[in-house]
Amino acid sequence: MERNINRKRIDSATIISAAIVLCLYIAVFIAEQILPSTSMLFTVLKKGATYALVAVSMNLCNGFTGIFSLGQAGFMLIGAYVYGIFTIPVISRADVYQYYSGGLVQFTLPVFVAMLLAGLAAAFFAFLIGLPVLRLKSDYLAIATLGFAEIIRALFQWDKLGPVTNGSNMLRLFPTFNDFNIRGADGQVTVYLSTLVPLLISGVCIGAIILLINSTFGRALKAIRDDEIAAEAMGVRLASHKRLAFCISSFFAGVGGAMLAMYQTTVQAKSFTTAMTYEILLIVVIGGIGSVTGSCISSFLFVAASEWWLRFLDQKQMIGNFEVPLLRNGFRLVVFSIIIMIVVLFFRRGIMGTRELPDIIRGWQRKKKGGASK
Amino acid sequence: MSENVLHIDHLTMRFGGVVAVNDLSMDINRGEIVALIGPNGAGKTTAFNMVTGVYTPTEGKVVLAGQDVTGKRPDEITKLGVARTFQNIRLFSSMTVFENVLTAKHLRRTSNFLTATFRMNMAEERRMRAETEKLLREVDLYDLKDEMATSLPYGKQRLLEIARALATEPKLLLLDEPAAGMNPQETDDLGAFIKQIKDKFDLTVFLIEHHMNLVMGISDRIYVIDFGKQIAEGTPAQVQDNPAVIAAYLGVDEDEGQLSQADEEVRG
Repeated sequence: MERNINRKRIDSATIISAAIVLCLYIAVFIAEQILPSTSMLFTVLKKGATYALVAVSMNLCNGFTGIFSLGQAGFMLIGAYVYGIFTIPVISRADVYQYYSGGLVQFTLPVFVAMLLAGLAAAFFAFLIGLPVLRLKSDYLAIATLGFAEIIRALFQWDKLGPVTNGSNMLRLFPTFNDFNIRGADGQVTVYLSTLVPLLISGVCIGAIILLINSTFGRALKAIRDDEIAAEAMGVRLASHKRLAFCISSFFAGVGGAMLAMYQTTVQAKSFTTAMTYEILLIVVIGGIGSVTGSCISSFLFVAASEWWLRFLDQKQMIGNFEVPLLRNGFRLVVFSIIIMIVVLFFRRGIMGTRELPDIIRGWQRKKKGGASK
Repeated sequence: MSENVLHIDHLTMRFGGVVAVNDLSMDINRGEIVALIGPNGAGKTTAFNMVTGVYTPTEGKVVLAGQDVTGKRPDEITKLGVARTFQNIRLFSSMTVFENVLTAKHLRRTSNFLTATFRMNMAEERRMRAETEKLLREVDLYDLKDEMATSLPYGKQRLLEIARALATEPKLLLLDEPAAGMNPQETDDLGAFIKQIKDKFDLTVFLIEHHMNLVMGISDRIYVIDFGKQIAEGTPAQVQDNPAVIAAYLGVDEDEGQLSQADEEVRG
């Protein structure tokens, strides 16, 4: 009896949430077998899965621990490069590293090992720059991490590192999401998995972050966010906990970088700009700072809106004989910006605030119960 | 001789040219309730901050049960059995009452982030929750456990801060103006409460307080400081009759009438 009260019970809302996520996965699997693989839906899901992971990792740092870091693009870059460098098949290396006589690395790691390594490399860099940078606060920390990302971007394009990073040339020919499809003997795809697998990888990683957030360490991180002085007085060692959050966040940003490499099929340092960090920050803010569910939902909405739903605004559209005014190349971005402004103005705390999916279900359950008793 | 819990040895704290605490020495023995009083700006909270490691003293030593802890971090000192509350309440605002207390259990963990993340510490997690629940029942906050900490009435927030401090399993409890903002009835209840938890948790209590009723009612000994310097020390009765204390509280005045009024003020 006593033990029952103390055990953190898994309530029906959590089970329902898990069931919803499972249903979404099944739906994606079925859709992938039925719909043509060129459908925009899959492009959005793949990129959305990547961005969701990076956004949640950023939320862990910025939203749950209160470390305002803007180094996300830098850690993604490290992850993307580590993944690319170690997975290009040996026979293709001469082709990719054509200016560096085949490059230094002459072996290939399995995809998942390389992804793990990508995360570890990002976490290692985070550990190193965390030593000085985590002593800073708020905007100073933001500027320092932003600077770090820029330095990394320049460093990876440095000609002297060419035998490893291929300088300013792109890495390519490494395994991509399409390689997750299962092919028959004739080379025809028998089971499509190129969308499901990225979603699964992302889901597993986000699941791990959720577990961390809900553990005793997660509570300590939230305590730091709420009040550093009180947290320290309650025995939370600030330096080690901040470092922990920063490194774990970067680990998953690194894994996300590897996924982005697979999505793009090529990697080039110059594409990991500050603008990419801002995109992810935007996703976190729109979703709700401190809500994992919010970051996930807004990632998919953001990617869908920018890549798919608003595309028509970039072309001439005719309704009967009437040509819709203003529509031309680039108009999409204007509309997109307006939508973001509306969201920020009317949903101050993002779509979800700090709530999660189970919280919403619990709210519905309470409402239902309240209605029934009346 | 009774067991020494806290020994403050000639502490001095300077901020630039300002001397906030000047050559302060104190001894607190196990099981005592000791108060530190003084006018606003006398350096009481600064003294607290040096004991808890927020500030490193410019000169002097802080010794906890024979161990020199000068210059240690606040979390290290908390781990050694010193817990505190704050003058301006510092609860974790995004958390419920239960989570606030539960968070303070973090420092007595044995798990690391991997075992905690992958739920290999369920026995420990259960123990933390059981202890938190027990503690909340003891301080009579259990009915409010799922409320947001910051939505509680003021007096309850003060109580919750004490509960959260108790969750770190302290030997020495530092209370920084626990009765600030409380009405007389709440202040009386608080006095009884402090005595009660002192016995129940085998604590030594060190408090800063302005409510003289409370201080005189519960303290075994009182230290009085003004401008960072100790001006008196003794039992409540001794301190109340000390002219230096009366002068510090209302300023020296030649007029006899003024002085007796001041005297009454200190007596409460």
